[in-house]
Amino acid sequence: MHSRFFSSLKLTLLVAALTVSGCSLSKWTVKPHQRELLADKIMQLDAEPQERAAEEHVLANREGAIGGTGTSGGGCGCN
Amino acid sequence: MQLTRSLSAIVLLGAALAGGLARPAAANTAEAAARVTMFDEPSSKNIGVRVLHPQADVSATVASAVNFAAGYSADVVTGATPATFDTVSAATKFSDTRHLVHGGFGFERSDGGISFAGAYGWESDYKSTVISGTTHHDLYEHNFTLALAYSHNFDTVCDADNTAAAGLPLDRVALANSSGCFTSTPGYVTHSLQIDTFEPSLSWTMTPRLVLQGGATIQILDGFQANPYRKVLVGSQSRTPQEHLPDFRQRYALFARLAYAFPELRASVLGMIRGYDDSWAVKAFTADVTGTKYLGQSMLISGRAHWHVQGGASFYRDAMGYQILGPAGQYWTGDRELSPMGNYLVGGRFSFFRRPQQERSSWFVEMELGGKYEFLYYLPQSPYAPNADRKFAHIIQGAFAMRF
Repeated sequence: MHSRFFSSLKLTLLVAALTVSGCSLSKWTVKPHQRELLADKIMQLDAEPQERAAEEHVLANREGAIGGTGTSGGGCGCN
Repeated sequence: MQLTRSLSAIVLLGAALAGGLARPAAANTAEAAARVTMFDEPSSKNIGVRVLHPQADVSATVASAVNFAAGYSADVVTGATPATFDTVSAATKFSDTRHLVHGGFGFERSDGGISFAGAYGWESDYKSTVISGTTHHDLYEHNFTLALAYSHNFDTVCDADNTAAAGLPLDRVALANSSGCFTSTPGYVTHSLQIDTFEPSLSWTMTPRLVLQGGATIQILDGFQANPYRKVLVGSQSRTPQEHLPDFRQRYALFARLAYAFPELRASVLGMIRGYDDSWAVKAFTADVTGTKYLGQSMLISGRAHWHVQGGASFYRDAMGYQILGPAGQYWTGDRELSPMGNYLVGGRFSFFRRPQQERSSWFVEMELGGKYEFLYYLPQSPYAPNADRKFAHIIQGAFAMRF
């Protein structure tokens, strides 16, 4: 199980790295007038923290892992 | 009955800052929200476990720069759980209530912010105090956001007085009940548990419809981490010592998240993948995806899928293994979180919004009514794994919020 797990993880990280590094360097500056979609609540990585707290409260006591449930930030485009 | 080992500090931080960092700042805004979640985990052998989790939160932003948040939540737990981790799994009924109050404040500028939060949770056998802080700063014309979050738990755990069994873990006895906890009653002691959690992350607004985030979570726990009530049948001589875990644990996670917009569908997809490792040799991988779509002007629906798979701790054996082979070293556990297993979760959610036609004449800006259902399926690796009699759980939630 572990070897399959790490193979899947490596593949996922490779795809993510290629996506991040190569595909869109020319577009890396998003202007304020282009942020309409990003400001929508359904695009917020950390929207509805109470909801997230309730979800994590359930899963944190039933899974042996932690992390990645969110810090602030995430390109809301609101500043 | 211990309901949880500790407050999840990073989650607390998010909850405490409900009105703050993650929301577009308006001059003066406020929100009041109430939510009730029911977690129902049936068992094939007994009545299972049911948890009611009500929570209420208020938050406000003043002059676009200062955020305040406060809230209360509780866990009302009833059910049955095995008193001893063995192949027989006789269950003991229990009920208990955990309370949590939290509050926080933050300051926002055009290119960043800083926030602080605190929480206190208590139940009959566990007390938890958490302080936390987070800061975020926008870089390169707001295209990148660097965030750092830190928290510290000062927790105390009630336990049976096992002074006489010092150095002899097989002689440790489990806590029978919590009636004498946090008092001077003979036979009870209080242990300390210190938890430090650090979570840096970097978010990149990559295109007008794509946001990526990467980060890491580092957590260090130092103190008593076992379930004081849990006994484990170890060896063939019917010895049932208290669960025994190392006092020190280091936990590490790397995660990546994304948000992608589909404007033509008025929809978005949020995703997360996470790899995890710790000093007890638990390795895990988690993936989570949520799709959300507007229906008309007043309705939002979403669907979610969550997958988690993990290996067991280095000292974990299933009940049959502990009985036939004995312990793997000086530690033993009957905790499902430390066993090799998988979790699958699918569910859906809806939100109905009502916004007044003429905001100036209304006393509120938005009213939201929501509900969700999720189905959680467990895949233990062995029929003798902890809680193998509980295969699935239902999660039902109702929510109401007013924004002013």
